[in-house]
Amino acid sequence: MRRAGFALTALATALAGSPVTGNEAPSLDPAILAIEGDAEWGAYLAGECLTCHRADGLAEGIPRITGWEPDDFVTAMHAYKQNWRTHPIMQMVAGRLSDEEIAALAAYFKDLE
Amino acid sequence: MTWNRRTFLGTGAAVVAAPHVLAEGQGKPRVVVIGGGAGGATAARYIAKDSEGMIDVTLIEPTRTYFSCFFSNLYLGGFKAIDDIGHTYGALAAAHGINVVHDWAVDVDRAGRTVTLAGGGVLGYDKLILSPGIDFVDGAVEGWDISAQNRMPHAYKAGSQTELLKAQIAAMPEGGTYAMVAPPNPYRCPPGPYERISMVAHVLKASNPTAKIIVADPKPKFSKMALFEEGWANHYPGMIDWIGEEFGGGNVSVDPGAMTLTIDGDETAVDVCNVIPAMKAGRIAEIAGVTDGNWAPVNAADMSSKADPDVHVLGDASQQGDMPKSAFSANSQAKACANAVRGALTGSKVFSPRYSNTCWSLIAAGDGVKVGATYEATEEKIARVDGFISQPGESAELRQATYEESEGWYAGIIADMFG
Repeated sequence: MRRAGFALTALATALAGSPVTGNEAPSLDPAILAIEGDAEWGAYLAGECLTCHRADGLAEGIPRITGWEPDDFVTAMHAYKQNWRTHPIMQMVAGRLSDEEIAALAAYFKDLE
Repeated sequence: MTWNRRTFLGTGAAVVAAPHVLAEGQGKPRVVVIGGGAGGATAARYIAKDSEGMIDVTLIEPTRTYFSCFFSNLYLGGFKAIDDIGHTYGALAAAHGINVVHDWAVDVDRAGRTVTLAGGGVLGYDKLILSPGIDFVDGAVEGWDISAQNRMPHAYKAGSQTELLKAQIAAMPEGGTYAMVAPPNPYRCPPGPYERISMVAHVLKASNPTAKIIVADPKPKFSKMALFEEGWANHYPGMIDWIGEEFGGGNVSVDPGAMTLTIDGDETAVDVCNVIPAMKAGRIAEIAGVTDGNWAPVNAADMSSKADPDVHVLGDASQQGDMPKSAFSANSQAKACANAVRGALTGSKVFSPRYSNTCWSLIAAGDGVKVGATYEATEEKIARVDGFISQPGESAELRQATYEESEGWYAGIIADMFG
């Protein structure tokens, strides 16, 4: 439960200031944060991200996604998946990612600087 | 690790065996890519980068500087300089070891697996990737052919044509008329003609506010229509006259010598005439014998040609199903293709394809809108899964954020193609 508590805290932090309306409180099964991501799979899946987000970490108009702590990355992606974060493209992209795919992406992007 | 091989590969994963893995000593497998745009440059870069020297990659592209068609409307609108949309191939050669050949591919021998260049060279391949973009259908607009493109530019292959069109707009007489002949479906960049109209209106509103814009359109409706119509009414009231199919917008002819446009029998003198003819796959796809009608049908799993499993067709030239012909789509398709080609040639893991697209358009300064969708490979086609579109009446802050996001996307996809 400690992990879940962390996740909810992180989610609350990530959502600070976001216009959230009418959704259930976000929840993350601790097992989701415990999934060990496969970075090779993540490297392939990352292709979808890298049409917009920069692999070199530069961020102008679109946020940086490299070098994130995996727990933060996974939490943020699930916040989109659960429509707690409001960006329509990210809700759409995260919406079809499985828990394992999100973990794989987190494993790949954490080492990309 | 708690998932099994099936879940690892993903639902519906295209698990391709490795029939083309070459034996040691037979030399590296060779991939030839024709066309250095969003599909071809991305495919070449990903295959070279991810194979880490195990595959010889050649990219054939006639131009030394690639002017992106995407964002070329922003150049017309004065939001970009021409150099902002020009990109070169040096990093693909220097950082990724790609053999960049600036020449035209003029023939493909699929039986012998060779590509012939205009300069006379012949390149052998194990896998061929065609990403030639578009050419125009002969006779699509009565009175217009390629010899008329200086009088009546298409500006739908970016570069000198775009610069010409911008100069013609700047030279319009006070109160003059800009006309566009819009293309029938399917064509490159569905919102492109209407973003262009917006950008032309933006320029004329400031420099020539009594000028008129006429659009002759063979379609009854168009991409992001409600958003553009709202934006045109808000930003450019009374300036734009869109004549759709219902009012004869598809029944047009032009006279480049007299500078007239005739719509459903009514002749109008125009000062600028931007003719965007019906489109087809780039000519080399037809020469390679992989087209059926105007486009090249492909398998949804890996963008391989339905005519030849060793030829892949990407982007605008392909007929794949539900994805729009856009740079984003081509870039997305290129990554699925690169993964499949690399797997076939080296035995690397092949993952389930994952397709997506977003198209941003600028209606006026700071007024950006977007439409996007995700797609999946089915037996029949690339099929739409989910999507979104900007809504009429959004706040100025959201529209500004959408525009800034489009700038970020442009930098991102350019880095993904050429970095």
